[in-house]
Amino acid sequence: MSIFKKLVDIKNWQRTTKTIAIVILAVLALVIVLSAINVSEQDMLNHASDSVKQLIEEEKTSSRKSLTITYDNLGVVSYISFTTSGASAIKESYVGFAGSIYGADQGAGKFAGQMVNYTYRMLGTGENLLHGVKLTLLLTTLSMLIGALMSIFLALGKISENKLISKLSSAYIFFFRGTPLLIQMFVIYFSVPGIFGFSWRSLFSAADPEAVYKGAFIAALIAFSLNAAAYCAEIVRAAIQSIDKGQNEASKALGLSYGQMMRTVIIPQSIRRMIPPLCNEFVMMIKDVSLVFAISLMDITTISKTIMTSEGNYLVFIPALLIYLVITAIFTFIFGKIEKRLSIYE
Amino acid sequence: MSEYQHILSTEHLYKSFGPLEVLKDINLAVKKGEVICIIGPSGAGKSTYLRSLNQLEKITSGKIFIKDELFLHREHNRTIHRVEPDAQKAMLLEMGMVFQRFNLFPHKTVLENVMLAQVLVRKKSKDAAEKLAKEIIERVGLSDKLDVYPSKLSGGQQQRVAIARALAMEPEIMLFDEPTSALDPELVGEVLNVMKGLAKQGMTMLCVTHEMGFAREVADRVVFMADGMILEEGTPKELFDHPTNEKAISFLRSIL
Amino acid sequence: MKKIIALALALAMMLSFAACAAKEAPAEPAAATAAAAAVDMSGVKLMQDGVLTVGMEIGYPPFEDFAEDGTTPIGYDVDFAKALGEKLGVTVNFVNTAWDGIFQGIGVNYDCAISAVTITAERKESMLFSEPYINNYQAVVVTKDFSGKIGSFLDLNNMAIAVQKETTSDHLMSDYVSTSSITATISANEKITTCFTQLENGEVDAVVVDSTVADGYLASNPDKFVKAFQDESEPEQFGVAMAMDNTTLQAAVNEAIAQLTAEGFFESNVAYWFGK
Repeated sequence: MSIFKKLVDIKNWQRTTKTIAIVILAVLALVIVLSAINVSEQDMLNHASDSVKQLIEEEKTSSRKSLTITYDNLGVVSYISFTTSGASAIKESYVGFAGSIYGADQGAGKFAGQMVNYTYRMLGTGENLLHGVKLTLLLTTLSMLIGALMSIFLALGKISENKLISKLSSAYIFFFRGTPLLIQMFVIYFSVPGIFGFSWRSLFSAADPEAVYKGAFIAALIAFSLNAAAYCAEIVRAAIQSIDKGQNEASKALGLSYGQMMRTVIIPQSIRRMIPPLCNEFVMMIKDVSLVFAISLMDITTISKTIMTSEGNYLVFIPALLIYLVITAIFTFIFGKIEKRLSIYE
Repeated sequence: MSEYQHILSTEHLYKSFGPLEVLKDINLAVKKGEVICIIGPSGAGKSTYLRSLNQLEKITSGKIFIKDELFLHREHNRTIHRVEPDAQKAMLLEMGMVFQRFNLFPHKTVLENVMLAQVLVRKKSKDAAEKLAKEIIERVGLSDKLDVYPSKLSGGQQQRVAIARALAMEPEIMLFDEPTSALDPELVGEVLNVMKGLAKQGMTMLCVTHEMGFAREVADRVVFMADGMILEEGTPKELFDHPTNEKAISFLRSIL
Repeated sequence: MKKIIALALALAMMLSFAACAAKEAPAEPAAATAAAAAVDMSGVKLMQDGVLTVGMEIGYPPFEDFAEDGTTPIGYDVDFAKALGEKLGVTVNFVNTAWDGIFQGIGVNYDCAISAVTITAERKESMLFSEPYINNYQAVVVTKDFSGKIGSFLDLNNMAIAVQKETTSDHLMSDYVSTSSITATISANEKITTCFTQLENGEVDAVVVDSTVADGYLASNPDKFVKAFQDESEPEQFGVAMAMDNTTLQAAVNEAIAQLTAEGFFESNVAYWFGK
């Protein structure tokens, strides 16, 4: 509610906020206009050469499907290509922008077309959440949330006066920080089902063609969460132990129990100190997601490698880098905001 | 008078940090309403004694009585007797503590600092806690700072909030551990005034302090500690004007 | 506390969204519609009735690759799998999987692996193979301007060689090096394209690779590479890999392959994908 009030209260916005808002609105308006006037899929299809149109007709009756029509619409720009497979492949492609259609078989048009196609594929547009950017975001956010929650208990366990709990927590942290995430994921995906006699795929309906990928995602989510918990635990522990001993003594003198002290005094103060290292951990994890290629999931890195394999074009890494930078920038910004909000008392 | 003789007393209290013995055979009995100032050179064990009373330090040996009831008895680092946990908690709440470095909760406002333990420990309703908190904050003269975070307050103001926070638990004894030592000289007075006010209202107080003027004016009894022992005690007049112990004489000479 | 609840809600929403979105997603587009089976399928156990789930490392052109839309699998094996499905009277569902671990998934995540899998005695100990559906040889590919002559793998002495990791080519080269038959630097890459890019950039002197893959590359890059040597003495054969206990499926697949051979499917498929 307070956020809403703040947003409405334009008069009291800071100058920079106003500037940013204006720029965002301007860009948004431009995007909407450009998207609105862009050519439709039908127009793009009609733009194909006669030989390709003839091929499309032949394809309808042919038993071997050799023609693939790719239509990638990114709003402002769209891309269409007609490609045949096999040893004698032919390719025809066009880029649509601001109401006109340009050839994309060579020169700048080709570059633009490739960028649109690659970006579209890495964003995982038109596919479910387990592809591309969506997979990266889903896996990192979920495992970071679960991991951070677990890490609080691990950190408290590690600094606990109970020797057994402390040793167990330390052992957990040591194990997950001391072994590679990839191997942990392999163990969870390959070894664990073998030992306990189930398969990740069988967690979902047999009729679901995506069951394999969903199963792999669950396994990856578990591996990433367990791993994140270990790394976050060290961050949380360091933050908790950085809080002045006097806070502990004052709480005791006031009669607060250990749990009350942790919940209301120590952890709220340490959270602010956790934010910057947690942000680092988060950014690292965004990149670690590329490990899921090993269990059949397609994240940004895997998709760009796949494109590299089929097209041998190293330009594919340009949109990949840009996408990673944008994600990282957005999350760094969000974490910065959270940190600022939590520091109001300082 | 009250149903007990001493509100707080210790017998043969010893405390060591490893091989270092910081408290040696401390015997002290406090009557209700009494104001006792503990003075002495640094390293004398004054703070450790105060912190031992409310269990921030574990004593090595000795007995602690609260309202004549044996609260804790330890010999050679082994607990011989201690009261039930619930009773222990209740007895500890009879003591309020004010620290040298204030130790306010920096992420809570002044009002929240004073309300927190009332709600969590005394299980009061928010309204009741707020009402009492506002009263006490007014008593320490900070009614205009209710919603301010501690970092925005001066040292003297912070210490007054810390006193209010301790008072809000309605203790019978207040322990002050060098409450003015971390303050700039011009801020000492406002804190001492609050403490004087408390003394006047009859609060039992145990103050470790370097403020001799305060001790002379307010204390019923002054205790001189050095090397972990109580070397001399008496009324302010006796101790300040006619000290007999040699260490006390040289200490008083050095600071007066 | 409210924040935590809000967070939990958001989480739940994301999860349910994930579930819904996944449900709405159409089945892999590969599916060839089930027609009357030409092969007796009685007693064949599939993971899902009426669907042959095929594990494939989609990223090994021209055997398996994604079309430019990033979702349609294409390639020699894809066409073969579809033809196989038609013969068995089932639809085909492709599961893209990493080459590492592809065999562990057989019988767990998919019914069989059709992914340019070479039939070897070693592999036969842990899985069933169909009859071979294509012959393959180990070949050496060099750049157009390569001046030397290669008559056998021994001529690769003192060269830098790129291979795809964990493939027959990799094992072959490792054998040559470990037995000190030749001294060579082996660069084992995740992807076969990386090998060819290394060759083009001069990082390595030669690529050892399946002849079929080499033919596909040469067909699409005739001005860059040449095949310097092909080891005809030791043909390799690709087969469909199935779980050890799935003999009924093995019999059905073999019957289908026999029928496809008789119909000339493999000849036309080779001509289409390898251009000869």
